[in-house]
Amino acid sequence: MKTFLAAMRETPLARRASKLLQAARDVLYGATVYEMVRDLRKEKAQREHLFILMVFGDLIGIPILPPYYTLRLLPYAIEGLPGWKRALLRERDITDLCDMEA
Amino acid sequence: MNALLPLLVTIIAIAVGYGWYARTVNRRVIQPDSKKATPATLYMDGVDFTPANRHVLFGYQFKSIAALGPIIGPIVAVQWGWLPALLWVVFGTLLLGWVQDYSSIMLSVREDGQTFGALSFRLISPRARTILVLFIYFYLLLLMAAFGKIVGFDLMTNPAVPLGVLLVIGIGLLAGQMTYKWKLDILLTTLITVALAFVGIWAGTLSGVKSFVQMLGGGAQSPLIFGNVTWAQFLWSLVVLIICYLGAVLPIWRWAQPINYVAFWIVFLGIIAGTLGLLIWHPSIPDSFPAFTNWDGNLTSAAAGAGVTKTFTSLGPLWPILFVTIACGAISGWHSLVSSSGTARQLENESDGLFVGAGAMFLEMFLAVLSILTAVVGIGAVQGFGKYAELIGAGKAGGVFALGLAEMMNHAGIPVAFGVSYGAVFLTLMALTIMYLVVRFMRVASAEFLGDTIPFFRNASFGSIVALVLSAFLIYTGFWARIWVLFGGANQLMASMALLLVSVWLMAKGKSYLWAFIPAIFMFVTTVAALLWTAFAVFRQVANTPNLAVNIMVGNIAAGVIAILLVLAALILVWDGIKALRRLKTGALAEAKA
Repeated sequence: MKTFLAAMRETPLARRASKLLQAARDVLYGATVYEMVRDLRKEKAQREHLFILMVFGDLIGIPILPPYYTLRLLPYAIEGLPGWKRALLRERDITDLCDMEA
Repeated sequence: MNALLPLLVTIIAIAVGYGWYARTVNRRVIQPDSKKATPATLYMDGVDFTPANRHVLFGYQFKSIAALGPIIGPIVAVQWGWLPALLWVVFGTLLLGWVQDYSSIMLSVREDGQTFGALSFRLISPRARTILVLFIYFYLLLLMAAFGKIVGFDLMTNPAVPLGVLLVIGIGLLAGQMTYKWKLDILLTTLITVALAFVGIWAGTLSGVKSFVQMLGGGAQSPLIFGNVTWAQFLWSLVVLIICYLGAVLPIWRWAQPINYVAFWIVFLGIIAGTLGLLIWHPSIPDSFPAFTNWDGNLTSAAAGAGVTKTFTSLGPLWPILFVTIACGAISGWHSLVSSSGTARQLENESDGLFVGAGAMFLEMFLAVLSILTAVVGIGAVQGFGKYAELIGAGKAGGVFALGLAEMMNHAGIPVAFGVSYGAVFLTLMALTIMYLVVRFMRVASAEFLGDTIPFFRNASFGSIVALVLSAFLIYTGFWARIWVLFGGANQLMASMALLLVSVWLMAKGKSYLWAFIPAIFMFVTTVAALLWTAFAVFRQVANTPNLAVNIMVGNIAAGVIAILLVLAALILVWDGIKALRRLKTGALAEAKA
């Protein structure tokens, strides 16, 4: 029976149905939870950006005093630094807010 | 004729529009390259720029663009007859609607994810950006007035509705608490909150509750308190404005987002139940419901045979008024703003743009056709054309939808009494989810422009209150139908400007641009004509209505003046746009000569 079911799942029709089901799930996710996930990401990023600004502000020309902590934190923060610099230096426009995340 | 035929026509239109026209433009003009990095992959920061799966993005785009416009607009436009409304929804989407949504996404994708303010600054002129933002502010003000009036004056004045709306909002807050604070599973949260929302809507229909709500609104015959505003209309509009205020100043995760989440399920399940009911029912379109009424959309003469003797005000000639009345059902400027600022920055692959942008617009066309059917068969087949005319004449387009949807859902086994309340809550939530986010935008826009000169505007509450006071002014004083047309006109004028921007960009890139430029010209001429005609009609109505209260006079004159200012702003933008086009043409000629 198990072999039969496994074989059924491998038929082109079953694969197609499974793809359709996945697409429907994704569409529903996009219309519901996705926005919540985006908002949480934004909130998290804003706080992280603020923290990195305090510690590594000198990377964009803001003088920062405590180099000891900066060096200690550098290995943990290095991955996020390029993204942080881009996000902070990116020119923003008020129409950026039209995706309803004002 | 069977009511399913318009749905079949819609499916054929989608096959032709998406399957042939949109794909051809996509392949020949835009030529998406799957190997090219999109801003989402190039600048991935996990926040604004995040690549997302095409199906996820499709759901996101549809949810962002579908609001009250594609529902109320087509219902109001049926006063010219269901055929002109259906034709504009189908052909408008086929030739203009998807063009705008899709091209806005691709323009932003190809220009490093820049949004319309920055793009108009760069491609058209520096002042274009300032004018565009001012234009958006006043356009959103008209949106607030149009939506606020439907919710506060029409939907919430039904005693079966307010409790349902307030409970769903409360349940939305509970959903936020369960998700973020108690960290419960999202599936469990959804099941509990959606079930509670259904109970809340049902509780609103109980006779004791209705009597209490009616008493709050001043009784069965709510007294007039100023102008022609009753106590119930004043009270519920005020409640709506307070909801918008909270939505604008509270953290998004605390208020707007979880309420939107629960509201989505109410709306989604309503659409499914309505469609299912219509398919089971498959009634004929009643002969008494005219396919075409008259060129002026004059309900007085159209409804004369239906036993209605009341006099209705005609909105105006079929062209240009019907074209803007339908609003988002065919083409909407709001879509271009959402598409360029949100969707374009999440597109993983250039070739996904067509599916996401055009696909979501074609789905919205389906929703618009379904709305036409709520009026034509939901009301028409059960209560006749006279009932439709009466409701529209009383400014109750939302009521038409609620009643029509209830009749459709009834054939899927849902009682009409619950269905009417459900339809009204459905529509109210759809409006509210947009309204408080609009106030958020207006608040930030006023802080940006006036924050330096008047520091008060930097305060979130102050900016929101100013936006709400301006909205309240129009809500309490404007003629609803006129405000709706002005909103539709401003919305589609925004669309024509988006298309103009796309045309300038296409020309700068040496690509074929007529497929965007001709719709831009058509929409520009149509919307300017509609705005000027309606502004004039508003002034005339104010002048010709005897014993009009001062507040109504002032409010309507203000609405008319806003319309004229929007036209002036659009003329400046188009003037600058044409200069940019000329500049580009001269440059291209010089380049060819060299």
